[in-house]
Amino acid sequence: MIEVQNLSKSYSGFRAVQNLNFHVNRGEIVGFLGPNGAGKSTTMKILAGYQPPTDGQVNVAGFDVVSQSLDVRRHIGYMPENVPLYNDMRVDEFLRFRARLKNVPKAKLKERVETVKQLCSLKDVERKIIGTLSKGYRQRVGLADAMVHDPDLLILDEPTIGLDPHQIRAVRELIKDLGKKHTIILSTHILSEVEMTCNRVLIINHGRIEASDTPANLTKLVRGGGSLRLEIKAPAADAKTKLAAVPDIEEVEVTAEGEWAQLRIFSKPGADIRDNVYQLVKKEGWDLREMARERATLEEAFVELTQD
Amino acid sequence: MAFWTLYRREAGSYFISPVAYVVFFATAIGIGSYFNFVFNYFNDFGIRQYTVLQACVNTFFFWLTLMVQVPIITMRVFSEEFKMGTIEMLLTAPVEEWEVVLSKFFGALTFFVTLWIPLLFNLVLLSTFSNPHVPIFWKPTGNTFLLVLLIGTFYVSIGVFTSVLTKNQIIAAILSFALIFLTFSISFIPFLNVTGNVRDLLGYFSALEQMDTFSKGVFDSRPVIFYLSATVFLLLLTQRLLEARRLKS
Repeated sequence: MIEVQNLSKSYSGFRAVQNLNFHVNRGEIVGFLGPNGAGKSTTMKILAGYQPPTDGQVNVAGFDVVSQSLDVRRHIGYMPENVPLYNDMRVDEFLRFRARLKNVPKAKLKERVETVKQLCSLKDVERKIIGTLSKGYRQRVGLADAMVHDPDLLILDEPTIGLDPHQIRAVRELIKDLGKKHTIILSTHILSEVEMTCNRVLIINHGRIEASDTPANLTKLVRGGGSLRLEIKAPAADAKTKLAAVPDIEEVEVTAEGEWAQLRIFSKPGADIRDNVYQLVKKEGWDLREMARERATLEEAFVELTQD
Repeated sequence: MAFWTLYRREAGSYFISPVAYVVFFATAIGIGSYFNFVFNYFNDFGIRQYTVLQACVNTFFFWLTLMVQVPIITMRVFSEEFKMGTIEMLLTAPVEEWEVVLSKFFGALTFFVTLWIPLLFNLVLLSTFSNPHVPIFWKPTGNTFLLVLLIGTFYVSIGVFTSVLTKNQIIAAILSFALIFLTFSISFIPFLNVTGNVRDLLGYFSALEQMDTFSKGVFDSRPVIFYLSATVFLLLLTQRLLEARRLKS
């Protein structure tokens, strides 16, 4: 669906995106993740055919974004950052205008507008003027606009920014639902959102792709996919050296000292060290009060991958 | 066809904006009272050699109205889209730049035409209720309105062109007024001590002389070609600038 090769984009000398390579297959929900100013919006604008790349090849739905921009735009639904809308139009009027603009046939126009209003729960504001709507509703009007012509690909730039938790949940469900039929690429810096909705995550930083994998695999990348929390009755320093000698253990960190020492143990990638740790504890005769596995979050993966 | 959808939105947007109604009523009242003034003056002094319409369109007041109203109509067409960011939404729909430019131009022109309907209405009123009857002289009237439309077409294209240059509506308005006034001031040059071929050449471009000719009922094809080709040129320039703005951003 999307094929990006060696994409670069500079703004008067400043390189916003450098040598990006990635592809998105039909039916995928891909999260585009990165700190502010990483080049997310720039990439999305290029994908939507709004800005041309400085260098590289970008194919969307089988068309080149520069030479076949019009064909690309027929196949995508794009929701820009901050959702610019005509403030003087009514919701219904706006959606009908956009549907006509996007070549929805006359016979299907009413049905499509009704469908997207239903999907985005806009029924109760259909007669309101867009300028008077709250941020949450505006966001949903933008989303409704993006999918009014039933595009193959949805490009959503920060679809949940500025929404309250209920609305975020609603939009998330909607995206998941849409993902059954459409290909979706969305950018965000809310990590839990990506974890819950996306099949694949692209982490971008300083205009480069740092990682591209499923959320589950990405968290495994981070120091073996998690750590072990251990609380034992033992001298902390002694326990630390002894634990560090156990095979597959990469690092031991003392988090609290005292009668009961608390330790955090990081294993090598993919290794399960719980059995070995227990054997050591039994051999040394330490009292064990707690042993728990802590999963790495996507947040940790994100921080680790985007650190300078 | 995306053009019609866009055109309907552009033309329609004037009729839901309060500013447009202010401009409409200001023009209607201004023209109406000036028309009334000229009519009374002609009556009191028994002037017979000019028609009221001819007197109305060959005065400073008429030209000022024309030059001020156009920038107010056109200043927002592109500037507002740039400022609100809606241009991004508009140009990521499957529409071409020329469709956007043409729809905005014709939308503004439609409103411009609406603004001059009250003048025609005044003429109709005069011929309906005057006693003794004052007829409408259709040929001079038709020619006058044709020239107003032609000059309006040209001025509106200047306004659309300046609006694509900036995202500040006020700057767009001032710039288009300056350009309109500049082109209009060619009309003043024949009043200076210019003679011979230069004077003849400048006379062709003089809006004042054109209006003098047309309001007498004499049709001249040269202004038609001049204004239409200048409009096409400015609209082409606008389309290129819109494209350049998107490509360089």
